[in-house]
Amino acid sequence: MYGWTGNILRVNLTTKTYKKEAYSEEFAQTWVGGRGFAAKILYDELKAGTDPLGPDNKFIVALGPIAGIPAPNTGKAVVAAKSPLTGFYGDGNLGTRVSEHLRKAGYDALIVEGKADRPTMLYIEDDKVEFLPADAVWGQGTYATNDWIYAKYGKGVGVLNIGQGGENLIRYAVVRSLEGRAGGRPGMGAVMGSKLLKAIVVKGSRPIPQADPANMKALGQGDLKKVGRIDKETGWSIQSTTGVLSFCNEVAGLPVRNFRKTHHPDAWKIDGERLNNARIATYGCPNCTMRCGITIHDKEGRESELDYENIGLLGANLEIFDLPQVGSLNYLCDEYGLDTMSAGCVLGFYADAIDHGATSGDFKFGDAERAKELLRMAAHREGKVGNLLADGSLRMAREFGHGSEAYAMQVKGLDVAAYNCKFIPGQALAFGVAAIGAHHREAWIITFEIKHTTRESYGPEKAAKVIELQRIRGGMFEFLVACRFPWIELGWSLDNYPKYFKASTGLDWTLDDMWTRADRIYGLIKLHFLREFPDTTRKADYPPAVWFDPANADTEGPIAGKVLDAEKYDGLLQHYYDQRGYDRRGIPTKATLDKLGLGREAAAVEKYARLY
Amino acid sequence: MKIQVKMIGPLMYEAGFSEKEIEVPAATTADSLLDLIKVSRQRPKIVTRNGRAVAPDERLAEGDRIAISPIYSGG
Ligand code: SF4
Repeated sequence: MYGWTGNILRVNLTTKTYKKEAYSEEFAQTWVGGRGFAAKILYDELKAGTDPLGPDNKFIVALGPIAGIPAPNTGKAVVAAKSPLTGFYGDGNLGTRVSEHLRKAGYDALIVEGKADRPTMLYIEDDKVEFLPADAVWGQGTYATNDWIYAKYGKGVGVLNIGQGGENLIRYAVVRSLEGRAGGRPGMGAVMGSKLLKAIVVKGSRPIPQADPANMKALGQGDLKKVGRIDKETGWSIQSTTGVLSFCNEVAGLPVRNFRKTHHPDAWKIDGERLNNARIATYGCPNCTMRCGITIHDKEGRESELDYENIGLLGANLEIFDLPQVGSLNYLCDEYGLDTMSAGCVLGFYADAIDHGATSGDFKFGDAERAKELLRMAAHREGKVGNLLADGSLRMAREFGHGSEAYAMQVKGLDVAAYNCKFIPGQALAFGVAAIGAHHREAWIITFEIKHTTRESYGPEKAAKVIELQRIRGGMFEFLVACRFPWIELGWSLDNYPKYFKASTGLDWTLDDMWTRADRIYGLIKLHFLREFPDTTRKADYPPAVWFDPANADTEGPIAGKVLDAEKYDGLLQHYYDQRGYDRRGIPTKATLDKLGLGREAAAVEKYARLY
Repeated sequence: MKIQVKMIGPLMYEAGFSEKEIEVPAATTADSLLDLIKVSRQRPKIVTRNGRAVAPDERLAEGDRIAISPIYSGG
């Protein structure tokens, strides 16, 4: 077997033991890697009802057959576990040298089980695994932790760590890596924290097995340069992802005031142009020539690295149109290891709930200083308010009552990314049916809706587009494990990926072969969901109710008077189910599961729930 | 007639401005505007008029707000 190392490292923190486990070629070709490996392992090894923050949950780092090999944007890793935020399978990807080092140590995945008896750092160097005390940095943020690790091992090692957010089991705590960014929005950092696992450090020294190493090298490194050239020509990374803020503001798709408004006259103050002007450094993941992170000085003079989701949700959504202040909120999230997007939604929801009398409190939109205080309280679960905020917007809404769940901006418990779909039906569907909750990573169709169809349409073409993008973005890029940006932002051809795959594995797969695996993984994640929520209905695939509320319509601007139509949305959802071969609850039918090669997995779920 | 033009993302560096009011001939369409502001036609773009997408041959009107953006894909 080439391309894959053929091994998984299984570590148990309770017993301080570890095992190198070989997996079969059939497993490799069925699940490919990354999200596919993680979803399959967690499906087979977790029971329904497992406490996400208990020792029986498993934390997984998974890589794929092109991960870590120099080629366009391959320095990414998938982190996964049962989510303490959503209650079923959750994952995320982040840039990290762990990708390369874990593969060079001889593993395509790491499974962490059990719970340590004290704060622990896992150190992996080729065949060696050490369980080291991390008491010195327990209670510290991710920057200090990273520095401590670099001081011990040098800057070249791969690092994953958590901040106070993960330690204190904040349900949207992420895993951080200073070589890239953060990942695992649905509380993957809290799962590490629940195991008293402060950090994972990896150093590998062996070559990654490849079918055609010479070709892989020429192709991969040559293409890295080409992607860098296209980036320069188009000027994409001058503003990187943040250019889209002005676009969203123009077309009434920006989240403002907990998504109540869709545009704002002050949005320009935090847009990509201003951000680029304030840039003091540029940041990127390993094996990347696009380097999309823009670092600025925050209000307190610290370095804070921003992207669109941060300025959208910590800025516009909180009506904080002050770039250094947005930088400060972002810095705090990074330091504590909190998902910036959920944090922006949680704070926005809190201010909105106070506004609407669902709870009492002293936080108002636009109050950056209080927002900083609240983030600190959330990350430390300080007092009643800190504990409330730490549990995420859906749990807060259930606590507040008064109909506030309608404007808790989440799907399946995961907060919505920074695109306001008050009148963007296809993207609302994309959030509704994203595998792990409202993530933008899997399908983003706003330009398609606005340019190539009509915004008013709820037609099957939009469901088809969502599926097409799920296959590519939520499927292929998540199982080969590479960053999707060269393709989505620069138009780097998808046809390149089967070429990298072939040079690495020797296998001649077409893009259709990739989609087969992608559909299988989507089907399996649905079974994860069904196993945990056997009474689920199609309402689980609905976006937040406030987007359907005529009282919430814009009073001026491009979509004045318009909101989503519930009946038509339901029709659009049905198009998606029909095209996917899912039943009326949004679960794959038995026939579809068979077709996807999920017969065994289907039989396992029938202990808990019905299939049709 | 006068229209307000907003260039989005990297296109503002190509056009040499971020946002300004410009005087254009009365028959200007969404497509012919691209020649007036001298942005390369090589790469696909999306043009919006008062927040809604326009067809290339659609005529612009006095006071319109036009945004010209690269095709973003949502990060
Ligand atoms: S484009 Fe951005 S997210 Fe993707 S690999 Fe490069 S730096 Fe990381």
